[in-house]
This record gives sequence, C-alpha cells and structure tokens, in this order.
Amino acid sequence: MAKPSAKAKLERIEQYREQVLSQPLAKGISPDEVRHYLAKLPPGRYPQAAYSKPRCRPLIQPRGGFPLVEAQRRLTQELDAAGADFIPLTIDSYTRHNQYDTAEQLLRRSKNEGKNYLNGYPLVTHGYASTRELYSGLNKPVSLRHGTPDARLLAEVAIASGIVEIEGGGICYCFPYSEGFPLDRSLLYWQYVDRLCAVNSTEAAPIHRESFGPLSATLVPPAIVVAIQIIEALLAAEQGVTSFAVSFGQTGSVIQDIATAHILKTLTREYLKMFGFESMRTYLVYHQWMGPFPTERTKAAALIAGSSVLASIVCADKIVVKTVDEALGIPDPWINVDAVETVMYMCRTFPCPQPFTSPLIEREIALIESETRSILQTIFSMPGDIFLHSVFQAFQLGLLDIPFSPHADNANKLISMRDGSGSIRICERGNVPICDEDAEQERTLLQSNLTRSKGSEPMYERLLSDINLMV
Amino acid sequence: MSRNRVVIGVIGDDIHIVGNRIMQLALEESGFSVYNLRARNHPERFVQAALEVNAHAVFVSSLNGEGEYWCSDFRKRFSDVGLNNILLYVGGNIVVGKRSQEEVVALFKGFGFDRVYHQLSDIRVAITQLKEDLKHGQAKREGEAREN
Repeated sequence: MAKPSAKAKLERIEQYREQVLSQPLAKGISPDEVRHYLAKLPPGRYPQAAYSKPRCRPLIQPRGGFPLVEAQRRLTQELDAAGADFIPLTIDSYTRHNQYDTAEQLLRRSKNEGKNYLNGYPLVTHGYASTRELYSGLNKPVSLRHGTPDARLLAEVAIASGIVEIEGGGICYCFPYSEGFPLDRSLLYWQYVDRLCAVNSTEAAPIHRESFGPLSATLVPPAIVVAIQIIEALLAAEQGVTSFAVSFGQTGSVIQDIATAHILKTLTREYLKMFGFESMRTYLVYHQWMGPFPTERTKAAALIAGSSVLASIVCADKIVVKTVDEALGIPDPWINVDAVETVMYMCRTFPCPQPFTSPLIEREIALIESETRSILQTIFSMPGDIFLHSVFQAFQLGLLDIPFSPHADNANKLISMRDGSGSIRICERGNVPICDEDAEQERTLLQSNLTRSKGSEPMYERLLSDINLMV
Repeated sequence: MSRNRVVIGVIGDDIHIVGNRIMQLALEESGFSVYNLRARNHPERFVQAALEVNAHAVFVSSLNGEGEYWCSDFRKRFSDVGLNNILLYVGGNIVVGKRSQEEVVALFKGFGFDRVYHQLSDIRVAITQLKEDLKHGQAKREGEAREN
C-alpha cells in the first residue's frame, strides 16, 4: 500500500541543491546567504501575513509579467497602488520550458527594439540580484505564476529573490502545460521544489505553495480536480511544506462552484489529517473563468464582475483575476488595474460571511465526495512503497484522466459534457474508478435536462458549445 | 468495408489542443479511423505517420499561426516518399496577423494542400468535403482543380 508518508522526504537535499546551483545560470546563489536574506524580508512579504489578517472578502491576486525589469516594476507599483493583495510574477514560456538561451536572446531583442518578444518575465535570465532590487520597498507577497514541469532552478532563483509563494506541482504544471515532459520526472522535480520550500521555511515565515486546480480549464469534472489537488497537497506535505493553497477554476455552474469549494476544503483537511499532516495550513483559491473569454470588453467585464461574486459566495481565501483583454492577449497595466478594482468593488459589495447550502448543493457535494473518495482510495491501495509512484501509475492506467490535456500520456478516455444547469457531467468515465451508482447518476443528470441541447446534434458540436459557454 | 484513415495533429511548437481533440471526436463520430499526433509536431511526423498507417488523408492544424512557417514544402515531403495521392488539409488560424481569406487560401494551395480552412469554425464543412473528396478516390486527386 503506497500511502503518503513523511518518510518519502528527499534525502541529502543539500548535495542535490549544490548540483542544481553549480550551473552558471544560478549566478552564485548561496543557500546560507538566501536563508539570511529571507530572515530579513519584511513579514508583509510572506503570504501568511496576508492570509492571517481578518478580512471580509477574498484576497486579490492579478496576473502579469513583462520581459524588462523596468516594465515589471511599473506593473508592480500600479497593482500595489490599486490594492492587489498579492503581486504576480508571471514567467515567459521559454523559461517555463527551460529554454534559457532563447529567453536570453529574446530578452536582448526586447531591450534593443523596445518591443516585447517574451510573454512574461525571464526570471532565471534576470537572476536574483536584479529581482531583489525590483521588489525593494514592497510589503506584499509576490506570487510566482508559471507552468514549469522542471522548476528546480526557477524556484531557487525565485526564493533567492524573496518570492515566497510558488505556484505549481508535478501534475498540475505538467499535464496541462506540456505535450511530452515525462510525468515521473516532473513529479520528482517538484519533490525538489517542495523540499526546497520546506528547508527555507521557518515556523513564523513559511514559504507558501499553491497548486493549480483549473488544469486544462476545459470541462474538467470537479472530482478530478479535487482528487489532484489533494494529491498535490499530500506530496508537498511529504516534503515538509507547511503552508499550501488548493485551488479550482470557475466551473460554469454556480451549484458546482459552491459544492466543489466545500468538498475541496473539507476533504483536503481530512486526508492531511489521515496521514499525519494536520499541521499544514491550507487555503482555498478560486480562479475566475479560465476557459475561452468573450472578445467584447463589455461582456468580459460582466463575466469578471459575476465571478467575483462567486468567489465571495464560495468563501475563497483568494481570487485570481482575469482582465477584459483576456481573449486578446497580454493586458496593459491599466487594464490589469481596472480588473483589480472591479473585483475588489464586487467582493466588498457582495460579502458572504459563510457558505450557504441547498438540497441541490447537498446532492452535488455528495456526488463529488463519493467520486473523489473512490479515486483516492484506488490510488492509495495500489501496490508499491512510494505514493509518488502510485500517482504516476494512476495516470498511466487512466485512473486519473484530464479532459483536453495536451500531454501524450493522458488517457483521454473520460468524456464530459454540461447538463441543463451548466454543471460538468461525466458522460464516459473511461478507467477513472468511480462506482457504477455515481456513473449512473452522472448520466441521468446529463440526460434529465436537455435544455442546453437539442439532443440530436453530433457530440462534438455539443462539446464545442459547452466549452464556449461564456463566449 | 474498412474505415478511411486520417492522420491529424497540430503543427509547430503550438500546444493548443482543444480543437485537435474536438477534431478527433468529430472525425471518429463521422466514421473515420483517426491517428492523432496531438500537439507539437514537425512536418516529418505527419509524413511518417501517413506512411505507417497508409493514410487516406492528413489534417494539419495550427492555432498560433505557425502553419505558414512549417507548411511551405508540405506536399513535396509526401511525394518524396511516394505518397503522391494523399489528401492534404489544413485548418485553424494558420497565419500570423490579419490577412485576407483569398490570400491565405492561395498561399496554402501553393504549398500543395487540397483544402484550406482558415478561421472557419464549422468543422462540419470540412468533414463533408473530406467525405466527398474521398468518394472520388485519392487517385483522382492529381490534376483535379478543387475549390473551397
């Protein structure tokens, strides 16, 4: 039985770090110097400070990354002034795929030609010294937003720069972001990142980890999201991480949003406790609609406003915001500032002190809970010694199956669609181990209300309209 | 009668997968055997796969516009390995920037594609035309003027 265990902690992390830090791109990062630097960082730079303040709305996290330090500084100042609770650092896609040479070339071209040739901040190329400088005087946490299967060097540079919230995970930054990066390696490299966060943490100032629950953001059934979020929390806990956020993306159904938030929160606590990790602090992050966005700014603004209310209703600890230019490309800073202000206004105007429920929500909670438990139970009872291996095998066998993942090793046997209320239903479960009763209930719910569908169109047309729900 | 075999995939370093998966389901639902190369493929992959499964048609897609760069000698790559009559289709958002439909169609026909679907979202049209083209048989492809 391969259950999560603190015994899975990476041994000899010091020697391993030496090996990673010996490459020239690490630019002489010294673990001792980093520890001293982190100890002097203002408390406000740690997510824990933000999360532990009393509040009546979700904390606000925009996204954003520009190639040049100057542009990133302006964005940071503007988002800070607008009242964002977390400052983003979005990394360019070449750095995400460890193509540091290309990132460097395109950074040089961006400097010389005054035009952005990168879709984010090439953190490894800039290095920790100039990034520390970028954030001097800031008293809010910076969150590393990327999509990197091998983030060992990136996380080293981030932490050395005083960026102490690291998004990602071995599954959530591999299967939705890569077509062929081997999952077993991604899982091992994220063990390194988790361990790195743990060894740089103190009780008062933990390095915070966050998982990315939206996954492919395309018709992913809530039970798959919840199971993967819990697995990543457990994998991080194994390495000694003490502060962790689970997350999910707006599903497109109000009922499913409320149910997912509830079950994600409670089951995460339950499973951490089950394996002796109850001391890990956990938070809930809600992503505004991650699927195709309307191109018209008025519609996009309405969607952003609406999902801010939903973040309030699901009692999220943090909301990750979109902008009205989502469908068009990377937003200008002022567009991003507008988004922060809109979300802040909506969350303040529509506070929700505690989650509410209804018979429909209860039914949805029971279904997601039952499905998640069967999936996790199947993985926990697989043969072998190491939980990480079971997780890897679970994908190989299709026990975990993420619809619309670009990854070559994804099973693609699970097919999901929306029912009449917009909830995501499992139409074909593939090899995902949910019981016959739950599978039957999913199918019944899918068929019981065909208001979204004429019932006669081909499946792919229905899928397209389900994916483009918000457009 | 055996099903017609179609190789599909996204070309270049493009990882946009949603349309590709929908194409797979749509073609399967329409009775084709689909060999899906999924995302991030260089042209050789399409040629190798077509040889391997003795494909009737190849459907290349691109969403980020890399298509133009990668497809320039597409037909020649197939005739070089003896696949002279295979049907070649391309669709999605196949060039970077705003260009006229006529210009884009002419460009890709020049690369040797039989049908070009630039920024046309209705998959049904492509599938109907693929079925029609296959009725005539691959052998009739050459010398036949096709229009969209």
